[in-house]
Amino acid sequence: MTETFFNLTWLIPLFPLAAFAIIVLWTNRHRLLSTWIAWIGIGLAWILGWIVFFQAWGGFEELTPPTHKYPVPLFSIPTGTTSLNLGFQVDTLTGVMLFMVPFVCLMIFIYSKGYMNYGTKDVDPRYSRFFAYISLFACGMLGLVVSDNFLTLFVFWEIMGLCSYLLIGFWFDKTYPDPKRITPKEAGLKAFLTTRVGDVIMLAGMLLLYSQVGSLTFSDVFSQETLEQLAHTYAWGNVPWATFIALLFFGGAVGKSAQFPLHVWLPDAMEGPTPVSALIHAATMVSAGVYLVARSFPLFVAVEGGSQLAVVAFIGAFTAIFSSTIAVAQNDIKRVLAYSTISQLGYMIAALGIGAYVAAVFHLITHAFFKALLFMGSGSVIHGVEHGHHHSHHHATGPEGHEEEGEFDANDMMNMGGLLRRMPVTGWTFIVGALALTGIFPWAGFWSKDEILADAWKTFQEGGHFGVTANWGFFVWLLLTIAAFLTAFYTGRQIFLTFAGKPRTAAAEHAPESVPSMTWPLVILAAFATLLGLAGTPWANQFFEMIGESAVILGERLAHGEFNLVIALVSSGVALAGWVVAWLIYGFRPLTVPVDPLRRPLGPIYTLLENKYYFDEIYQAGIVRPAIRLAQACYTFDDKVVIDPIVDGVGRFGRWLSDWLRRAVDNPIVDGAVNGVGRVTTWFGEFMRATQTGKVQNYLLVAAVTVFLLVALYVFRTYLPDWLSALGLG
Amino acid sequence: MEYLLTLITFTPLLGVLLVLLVPKDDERTIKNLGIGISFIPLVLATYLWFAYDKGQSGFQFEFIADWIPAINVNYHVGADGLSVPLMFLTALLTTLGLIYSSYTIKQRVKEFFLLFLLLEMGMLGVFMSLDLVLFYVFWEVGLVPMYLLIGIWGQPKDRPQYSAIKFFLYTLAGSVLMLLAILGLYFYHGTFDIVQLSQGLGSEGPLGLVFGGNSALAIAAFWAFFIAFAIKVPLWPFHTWLPDAHTAAPTAGSVILAGVLLKLGGFGMLRIALPIFPEQFKFYCWDVPIIPILALLSIVYGALVCMAQWDLKRLIAYSSVSHMGYYMLGVSAAAAGWGVSSYSDAAAMASNGAALQMFNHGIITGGLFFLVGVIYDRAHSRDLALMDAEGNPLRDKDNKVLPAFGGLGKMTPYYYGIFLVTAFASLGLPGLAGFWAEFFVFRGAFEIMPWFAAFGVLGIIFTAAYILWKIVQYLFLGDFNLERWKEVTHDAKLTDLMTFEKVTMWPLVLLMIGFGIYPTPLVDFFNSFAQKLFGG
Amino acid sequence: MDVPLSWYLVVAAALFCIGLAGALSRRNAIAVLMGVELMLNAVNVNLLAFWRHVEVVKATLSGQAFAIIVITVAAAEAAVGLALAIALYRTRRTVDVEDVDLMKL
Repeated sequence: MTETFFNLTWLIPLFPLAAFAIIVLWTNRHRLLSTWIAWIGIGLAWILGWIVFFQAWGGFEELTPPTHKYPVPLFSIPTGTTSLNLGFQVDTLTGVMLFMVPFVCLMIFIYSKGYMNYGTKDVDPRYSRFFAYISLFACGMLGLVVSDNFLTLFVFWEIMGLCSYLLIGFWFDKTYPDPKRITPKEAGLKAFLTTRVGDVIMLAGMLLLYSQVGSLTFSDVFSQETLEQLAHTYAWGNVPWATFIALLFFGGAVGKSAQFPLHVWLPDAMEGPTPVSALIHAATMVSAGVYLVARSFPLFVAVEGGSQLAVVAFIGAFTAIFSSTIAVAQNDIKRVLAYSTISQLGYMIAALGIGAYVAAVFHLITHAFFKALLFMGSGSVIHGVEHGHHHSHHHATGPEGHEEEGEFDANDMMNMGGLLRRMPVTGWTFIVGALALTGIFPWAGFWSKDEILADAWKTFQEGGHFGVTANWGFFVWLLLTIAAFLTAFYTGRQIFLTFAGKPRTAAAEHAPESVPSMTWPLVILAAFATLLGLAGTPWANQFFEMIGESAVILGERLAHGEFNLVIALVSSGVALAGWVVAWLIYGFRPLTVPVDPLRRPLGPIYTLLENKYYFDEIYQAGIVRPAIRLAQACYTFDDKVVIDPIVDGVGRFGRWLSDWLRRAVDNPIVDGAVNGVGRVTTWFGEFMRATQTGKVQNYLLVAAVTVFLLVALYVFRTYLPDWLSALGLG
Repeated sequence: MEYLLTLITFTPLLGVLLVLLVPKDDERTIKNLGIGISFIPLVLATYLWFAYDKGQSGFQFEFIADWIPAINVNYHVGADGLSVPLMFLTALLTTLGLIYSSYTIKQRVKEFFLLFLLLEMGMLGVFMSLDLVLFYVFWEVGLVPMYLLIGIWGQPKDRPQYSAIKFFLYTLAGSVLMLLAILGLYFYHGTFDIVQLSQGLGSEGPLGLVFGGNSALAIAAFWAFFIAFAIKVPLWPFHTWLPDAHTAAPTAGSVILAGVLLKLGGFGMLRIALPIFPEQFKFYCWDVPIIPILALLSIVYGALVCMAQWDLKRLIAYSSVSHMGYYMLGVSAAAAGWGVSSYSDAAAMASNGAALQMFNHGIITGGLFFLVGVIYDRAHSRDLALMDAEGNPLRDKDNKVLPAFGGLGKMTPYYYGIFLVTAFASLGLPGLAGFWAEFFVFRGAFEIMPWFAAFGVLGIIFTAAYILWKIVQYLFLGDFNLERWKEVTHDAKLTDLMTFEKVTMWPLVLLMIGFGIYPTPLVDFFNSFAQKLFGG
Repeated sequence: MDVPLSWYLVVAAALFCIGLAGALSRRNAIAVLMGVELMLNAVNVNLLAFWRHVEVVKATLSGQAFAIIVITVAAAEAAVGLALAIALYRTRRTVDVEDVDLMKL
């Protein structure tokens, strides 16, 4: 029975794919039908996914090596004498991802119906297409987690990239009066191109791995002999292939999981519809990067004490603290969450960098639930405020007054305030999500975040696994703890600005609670955000047992922080401190004017944070514009200055040469000779025509004279000697 | 069976004769007849596809007959894993091109259909030839109809005569070199037979070393062939005829030009230059890596030049330079790995990737040119931005370029959808056909020449940039501005794809998706060819 | 009695010169024709005289034969010439050869 379901894993991504195809090709015009097809597609994936998960949960011993694969070969591609085999598989990591991904996706799908205004006059004109796109997106993520090799993983990875491009730019016709503000179409492009940079690095890593190993299937690549071979052959100098390839893979993860320095696309991706933000930032795309590192973790630890883990730890920890500082100064409710996501992904990456594999995966799962909740909550808030704006506007100026339509920003927290009363379900679930995010006991985030911090501390205390030095443990612990404080602070700020106090605009005053199809997913996710941590409590760490069992064997040893009360207290205290500071600044005396009270005291630092350390501007000036200028220069070189002018020059030389030959050789010499013959003939004819008078007697005279002369000549010739002798001259 | 290839190649000639007999005012009959006749090679090529035994590596459907016995020229034809898919591609694109043209060509219909069928015969003939003289004859046969197609049916503002003569002379210059090399081979080895030459040469072969070990002659002959093919591919820096010719040609002409004519060069590389001159090819790919450097320049430089284009058709023309650069990189890697047993699989993969790139570029870029034709037929303009008199884009007060179109995604969703699939296939999105070619090219290259491959992958990023930024964003995204549309197009009507355009595009789109998801059938063909060349 | 050959020749030469002078100097086409006839008859005299005095040809009748042919030709020539003169007179109202130079370009 177990095996039957494991062998059906390949069907999971197929359901949403079928939904995508059906909606695009046939039911595009019918909104309700499209909604249901998308729901059924993801619903079936969810049911099958959970069956597989619970089978794996119940029998994960079966999934441990060497029998832990349930490969379903898909097809193979011939490659010379060998062939490249592609297929699907199940292992424990796939199992837990199948717990999270389809379920969160299902919630997002249900939420989308209300969010895209189904059944109202504001319904999105491309409503059905939206469901098609998110179905394809779900297919991408589900396919990614069930792949048994890096190639299909990459294929689905890129399909997600495509969908994120389409979905971020979903409202591609939107323009803003402020030319500086990024539009959805530009945000989509930016997201695709930025992640493409990472993808290409990853592709290079994958191809090098393929060259070295001759296979891309996980079970081949992660076998003990292969890993040892990769660790002891060198790309160049003393850099082993394992280190090099792992770093290239990490490049892909940096792009997809929006780690520094490729983080710039993610905040702008907020231009997409909110369910998309939830999909991209919580359940699917960004976690794909973490999943990739987790999946190829054996490669990362193949070389004892290699630099690859240090790079991962550094990037992760740095990103965690770096982006949480930016989040402090953002006023867009979704952008705060975006930076928060980057920061939380930094946690996971940093955890992987110090070898805390289980903690990272655990945080990945819990984070997906509460971040999806927060995003969808913020979407509900925006939705409400937009409706409130519409409502109040309508009443204030009458139906024809639309002159200020473009100015109002429903995402701006400065335009909110006091929404808890207007939108209680959204508000309370949002607060639950915030508590989970900030790691307050006993919500899910507390357990997963604490596990990471405990692992880091343990590394510092006892020395790390896989050759991670103790100092890295301390570094990571310190940065992540500071980041925890900042997380609590900006989350608190968000809560107080949005929900506390009094409405600062008419829009917030009239914001209605969202429809049930939007609030129910919030409630369900809130329940998960509250309870999910219990799966990984130190006393009954079933999560560790399940994931750890397989991980222990892969890497021989595995860091698992036992519960450390001091660390738990320290991180809880830091988080509480963050909340308190936020309350002191924003909650104690709620804002009445839309100006951040921190702006004045922080001065230029605030401006720096508000402008995200000017990364966009730096990239624009340092990469984008030079690339465009280079392109222009190449074109000028090609078309105007060198290459084409040379070709044209050869042509022009040919024409000049032929022209010269015509003028200097052909005309005077060759043609001259021919014309000369003609001219002589003409001249002679002109001369001779004078003799032709047309008078018959003239001709007769000429004939007579000629005869006479001829006769005379004859006579003369015959008798001349005689005459001469007769004259005595002979 | 042995007449199958002959039949495929010469049925279009029959079409030419039949079209000649129809009075030129009877356009309906000419169109139906032309399209009908073009289905015959298509059906036969499809039959060839399935009848060909991929498990066997030699030539199949081979046929040989005396042609000019005095100098040992034979009518020798045959198909292997390389030529079968390309013949199918040729027949398919010709039929689609004729269907599309029957709705868009308004003048000199008879001549157009006649020349198009003649062109098809030339192209098919090249793919089946196994004799150098035959190859050369077909190579040249294709040149004349294309010259006329560009010159007569080109848009007046694109300087069609200039473009046509440039295309003709450039290719002819290469052909002359090739002819000299062919004659050189004949005088040394007494045969024009490609099979004999590619299998019999070498230190142990019955024909001995190429040019009897005279390396100077061998190198000269290699470069003669190489340049002839490189012009056709086209490889940087021999590419400048291409943007002009593509831009000026009528839609179906551009499709054939990009879809098939460029492949003649690529086909020649793999059919003649590499098998007959493997040592020389390897030398210039490995010891003195001129060819991979040119390939890299094509990739990166081509992509960069695309980013600077404002004419949509010219942009896609330049994208061919970049895409065929991937092909050349694959061939270079394969050549560099030739004869090294540890690289035999990598070389086979690089060669597979290169051949895949030929096929996929044919369907993808062919599709893109059809799609450009769609917008051009409606708007009579291809500029992506509003242009000033000097050909620079106009900018608004915020220094943003003013797009000429924009928002078509909202107005013409069907067109948008088809265009997106094709554009993403072109940028090598996994799951669509273009990816596999790039994957295998880089797979081979990363093993054999990793540094070149590492620079080559930069092209992938630039490709994504110009396709999404330049094409998709300027055409489809943004808000639709009716006033601007009217201004740009002089009050043309904006309609979504019409039935004949859908009929033209769907086969290509299906192939892109089909071979994107399941490339094995196609790779099987190319692998059987690569096995013969590089096999263990 | 035997008239010497030279006498015949002198007579014939005189006759020829009279005919030639007439043909060259008269402006009337008929007169020109008559001059031509005189020259032909001078030839006839010569033919017969040479036939009579040269032994080799005496055995044949070639002298008479040629003379008869010349007379026939002269008759034909006179007929054609007179017809031309009449035709000329009909179209141009003149038979003055000075006025007829249509052959000139």
